[in-house]
Amino acid sequence: MKKLNNYRRNFLKNSSYFISSLLFSSIFKINTSYSKSKLKPRIIIVGYGIGGATCISYLLKFSKNFDIIVIEKNERIQTCPMSNLVIADIIPYSYISHDFDYMRLKNIKFLNSSVKTIYTSKKIIETEDSSKIYYDYLILSPGINFKNDIDGYNHKDRTIIPHCWNGTKDLFKFKKRLNDLEKKSTIIISAPDYPYRCPPAPYERASLLANFLKRKKKKFKILILDSKDSFTKKEIFLNEWRNYHKESIEWIPKSKGGKVTYFNKKENYVKTSNGSKFKADFINIIPNQKAADILTRSKLNGNKDWCDVNPMTFELKNFRNIFVVGDSIDAGDMPKSAFSANSQAKILATNLVNRIYEKDILSPVFLNTCYSFSSSKRAFSITSWYKLNKKKTRIVSLGSSTTKVDALSHQYYDETRQAYGWYENLVKTLYG
Amino acid sequence: MKKSKLFILLILFPFHIFANDIEINVIIENCKSCHGQNYEGNNYIKSLKPLEKEEFISKMIKYVNSNNDHVMSRISKVLNKKDILKMADEIYEKIE
Repeated sequence: MKKLNNYRRNFLKNSSYFISSLLFSSIFKINTSYSKSKLKPRIIIVGYGIGGATCISYLLKFSKNFDIIVIEKNERIQTCPMSNLVIADIIPYSYISHDFDYMRLKNIKFLNSSVKTIYTSKKIIETEDSSKIYYDYLILSPGINFKNDIDGYNHKDRTIIPHCWNGTKDLFKFKKRLNDLEKKSTIIISAPDYPYRCPPAPYERASLLANFLKRKKKKFKILILDSKDSFTKKEIFLNEWRNYHKESIEWIPKSKGGKVTYFNKKENYVKTSNGSKFKADFINIIPNQKAADILTRSKLNGNKDWCDVNPMTFELKNFRNIFVVGDSIDAGDMPKSAFSANSQAKILATNLVNRIYEKDILSPVFLNTCYSFSSSKRAFSITSWYKLNKKKTRIVSLGSSTTKVDALSHQYYDETRQAYGWYENLVKTLYG
Repeated sequence: MKKSKLFILLILFPFHIFANDIEINVIIENCKSCHGQNYEGNNYIKSLKPLEKEEFISKMIKYVNSNNDHVMSRISKVLNKKDILKMADEIYEKIE
């Protein structure tokens, strides 16, 4: 409380500048700066995806005590969860696209921008429009970035089929290219190596593309060229493909030459690690992944692919008062999923409040439940609880369990309902 | 549900060590991801509000002891009797 009182005492000295700068920035959209607020501790949250929005939902009840600023580059949020269902025309795009509920967030300042640089020594971030904003605590939930480690492939190339792994409107381009396929076509999905966002999603995509093309009465063959020799929920996916898409979906693991090493966009073919060449009408490369660009640009991940955080608080190792949540961190045994980010962010926000109020830090426990669909009527899941190891340095799984391969049809159907139920409550809590 | 039946279920309940160093609220926050901030559920997931506290305890124990494949059975396997009783106290104290 001492800290908060100090902030209050100094408020009047600083408030006039602060309020005027806010008014100017929001009304006239000119470059400005947010100086240090001495009234309240300032928390900046970068990214309003699942991790960032969860932090905000937990910090909301303290929004009168803290000065909270959210920086989000998009004007709407498009979630990655459920996006394969949109691609397969099972649900409409509007289901995964969400507005910001400004009424609910009335004590929080929103900036529609992205962060250019973080000056850690000065505790200042600079946005794309050159605003400089001081922070006391910085929460980064920036998603991921992609590697260009396949010869001939560039994830920024706008002329190729988009990977659709980052919640953008490229999804429409993907759908158009899919709709344009001839009556008989070959599709390649190149699945990345671990770790990557949403581990079962490449296989869910294959299942749902097959489901979509079957409904369109098109003949097709889907080849999944994999950079791995196994994948999550493998037995269930293989069983689904055997039962519903016999000989239409083929999985080629790394050990059998599945890892894509070369992409030729002009002639539409890929080559794999054993020299095999695969030609296709539709090539969807899901690239290998790494921490978001802002973390690398600001040298916060120490030249590693993923950020090291203290799993009690999600504070970056070596950077005090900077926290990272979601897909950009090395979360030990936890997969990179929306459910994981949601679970991690609850601990981050709660323990940040505890730190500010000088209370004890809670020992965390996390949950992940990840649903995959193989059609509109069949879904299955993997679930696990997570705790910290004895040294409290790493998140470890308490053992995962999946839907049984021989589960009955009504159980698979029931899991579709659980999946929709989870998603709808999640987005209702986060986006209103 | 009769209290005697609930008592028998509790005695038969297996022992786990999941939550001995974890505050029950931290576990419950994870339940809200699916069940909603006020356990209100939605079109797909039932609300906890119409359930009596004893019914909640009984259902949770059935999930833990069940060998069926329901996602709740799999999620609740790590919980012990003490965890479930504490969860029930916490949830039904705050449920609106």
